[in-house]
Amino acid sequence: MQLTQITRLTLPRWNAARTSPRLIMAAGLVALFVAVPLVYIFIRAVAAEPEAWQRLLQTRLWKLLGNTLILALAVTSGALATGVSMAWLTERTDLPGRGIFRWMLALPLAIPAYIGGIVHLSLLRPRGGFIPQALEAIFGQPVILPSPIGFWGAAFILTLFTYPYVYLLSSAAFRRLHASLEEAARTLGRTAWQTLWQVTLPALRPGLMAGALLVALDILAEYGTVALLRYETFSSAIFIQLSGRYDRSAASILSGVLVSLAIFILWAELRLQGRARFTQVESNWRPAPPVSLGKWRLPALSLVLFVISASLLVPMAVLVIWSANSLLDPQALRAVFRTGTIGFGSFIWNSVWTSSLAAAAAVAFSLPVALLSVRHPGRISRFISRLCQVGYAIPGVVIALSLVLLVNRLLPFLYATPFVVVIAYVLRHMPQAVRSSESAFGQLSPSLEEAARNLGRTSVQTFFQVTLPLITPGLLAGGALVFLTSLKELPATLLLRPAGFDTLAVRVWIWAVDGFYMQAAPAALFLVLAAALPLSFLLRREQIFR
Amino acid sequence: MSFNRNVSVILLLPLALAACTPAAQLENTAAATQDQAGMETIESPESPQTEIKGRLVIYSGRSETLIQPVIDAFTAKYPDVEILLKAGSNSELANALIEERANPQADVFITTELFTVQSLAAQSIFQPYLPAGAEQLPAGFVGDQNLWTGLTRRARVIMYNSELVSPDEAPKSIFELADAKWSGQIAAAGSTNGSMQAQIAVLRQVIGEGATEGWLKDMIANQVTFFGGHTDVRKAVGAGEFKLGLVNHYYFYLQQAEGSPVGIVFPDQDEGQIGLITNATAAAVVNGGANAAAAQAFIDFLVSAEGQKLFAELNYEYPLLPNVRLREGVQPLDGFRLADVDVAKSAQEYEATFELMERVGLP
Repeated sequence: MQLTQITRLTLPRWNAARTSPRLIMAAGLVALFVAVPLVYIFIRAVAAEPEAWQRLLQTRLWKLLGNTLILALAVTSGALATGVSMAWLTERTDLPGRGIFRWMLALPLAIPAYIGGIVHLSLLRPRGGFIPQALEAIFGQPVILPSPIGFWGAAFILTLFTYPYVYLLSSAAFRRLHASLEEAARTLGRTAWQTLWQVTLPALRPGLMAGALLVALDILAEYGTVALLRYETFSSAIFIQLSGRYDRSAASILSGVLVSLAIFILWAELRLQGRARFTQVESNWRPAPPVSLGKWRLPALSLVLFVISASLLVPMAVLVIWSANSLLDPQALRAVFRTGTIGFGSFIWNSVWTSSLAAAAAVAFSLPVALLSVRHPGRISRFISRLCQVGYAIPGVVIALSLVLLVNRLLPFLYATPFVVVIAYVLRHMPQAVRSSESAFGQLSPSLEEAARNLGRTSVQTFFQVTLPLITPGLLAGGALVFLTSLKELPATLLLRPAGFDTLAVRVWIWAVDGFYMQAAPAALFLVLAAALPLSFLLRREQIFR
Repeated sequence: MSFNRNVSVILLLPLALAACTPAAQLENTAAATQDQAGMETIESPESPQTEIKGRLVIYSGRSETLIQPVIDAFTAKYPDVEILLKAGSNSELANALIEERANPQADVFITTELFTVQSLAAQSIFQPYLPAGAEQLPAGFVGDQNLWTGLTRRARVIMYNSELVSPDEAPKSIFELADAKWSGQIAAAGSTNGSMQAQIAVLRQVIGEGATEGWLKDMIANQVTFFGGHTDVRKAVGAGEFKLGLVNHYYFYLQQAEGSPVGIVFPDQDEGQIGLITNATAAAVVNGGANAAAAQAFIDFLVSAEGQKLFAELNYEYPLLPNVRLREGVQPLDGFRLADVDVAKSAQEYEATFELMERVGLP
């Protein structure tokens, strides 16, 4: 609100009034493109035969709803607790090694949760896993360890690979927070601990809640990890319906319910996003002094080390060891280094070009939407901008279902080409591009554009000569984000890829599900490294790390 | 600026694509009509092997590891053919074939049971083709009007971890799997797996809908763990994670070859029991596929002694072509009493099988 008001005040009236119809049309087309799969799924769900509804209502729907919600709740709380505590320890205390920990706590974002799951499963699997077997060899009898399979395993592993969202948001917020707030609390007699709970965290709450809801949306969409750990949620049930049944109505119904749930969460998130903008940096900002941990130093250090080991060091070490093993095993080596459509080079190439194309297209499509919503705020532009964010709420399996049906009917020449996969990436990851572009436009003062207009440039010339060059870094960040998430995407790629078209993610999954961990490891390692590149670019840009 | 150039490339790409596709489709249809014209004369002895080239798209319900070696052997023989493989569950690929009826993408379809090919054949998804040598296959393993051809047989067996279960203790019937003494100790494949679906379809026919439903409910109540596929099952039994696994026979042999302590039971052999449930893999030429010539050559190869030997040697399966030797150590099917199944009838009732799985909530 505050921000919009400021923009309105500084914007000359003529500009606000003259919203170009071409711009509205372009943004509207993008919104239409994004909304079609969503609307289609709702129609299919509502139009499904009543018997199919009844069968699902009587049998699985409630169980799936319960399973999905409990997992989302558990992982969101886990990610909040882990993310905020890690951020506080590395930003606001004198924890030794915090400079390097800041990096290591963010890097698990480059590891898809299903790859982390594969590693943890192979280590901890009851009796069959590496650790239980090693313990049995040492003690001569089976040792009962917590099993990574089922609800607790899924909650644990998904927490490990989603907390970085919350961590990044909260460390940025901790750093921006004005020292005077906490100082006031301390002068009023609060201890450091009381200050944290009564002043600091409440001040950060809107931003953190928004981050937490994004985690919840991620969990609703998660397929690989829950399938691997055999915990049934809506996403995995839809995948089974799609791959194992002839009847599409049940899949449509489940998708309709899942998307409604996700839209509700997204709506809450969008509302919080609006409020989160109140946290502003004032001109006399100075950092708050770090809290001394004292005797808590060692426990805090072990906690951080545990999180880093489980989410980054152990998975990476295992992937490296497996990769090395596969290079030594002639059979796996042959499978890894085949040529042609089933060669390693083609997986890398397919992953890279589809993700890049998706990133470029998502950023290009986000431009008119962001331009409209930032420069011409109003009801229509806000509606369009929000509509373009529904991708967050449409899980990969649901996008796959609607695209399979839609593309074959409307665009048969695109059917069974890799471009359908690219379309799925664009639809799913468009919100990230829209948000990045909106923030890029938002940081650019409209007076620069007005100056260009006053000097006789047309609106199109102004855009290409003034606006675009200035916002390019922001757009690149959005592109990097879309690239990163597209690279990790699994379910839509699995369901939509044409014959003979494999990406790194698909390959890792197919091999790992068949139990060929060694063979899968080089592809997994490559995928993580390829994802780490855009991630480190993003982290540097955000200046989180000094 | 390179950025601008990229943008224009991206913007032009769909246009270029749209521009080429109709032409490509025209070429395809032209090629297809040529093929059909050529089919009448194909029997002429001079039809040269060199004509078999281009892309061959295979949809395979056999998992990739079980078909890739055969594909490699085929491409060694026909180096001009580029094979694009999509491996998945039978029903996933069957869904795709139905969906793509107006816009066929695949040339060849391979399944792990006969019900899916049978029901797709009834929906005119395939074109007739009788591969060379198929007349030697046993009766009932070539579809009506030659719409599909059987490849190999496999048996549904119980495998056990022999460190945890003695041969005497091991269940002798699939119905013993519902016994509470095995609670939480059994692994099986879930409802997306073709062999499991086929087993349920056969059971419906042999013991009836109600009894099959009861068996499935008992299995679920007995905390059977249902995996996506059998490789997980055999590895879990081999590692001792589970005592028993319900699998196709070759998964036992594959696990044994990895050095695991496992045993096998060919179940339900006693008087009054239902007999061993078997099934067959099959292949068919997709109607309207772009490369019928290569598709036919591929199926010829699968049925030939060379192809059949690969299935027997690499994967311990029972080849359908007579006189192809079983891999050493595999117990021949002749010694077992087999469950009596009418494939055509089960195929008609395949939908009821899916409804049953849905109703009992088989994972």
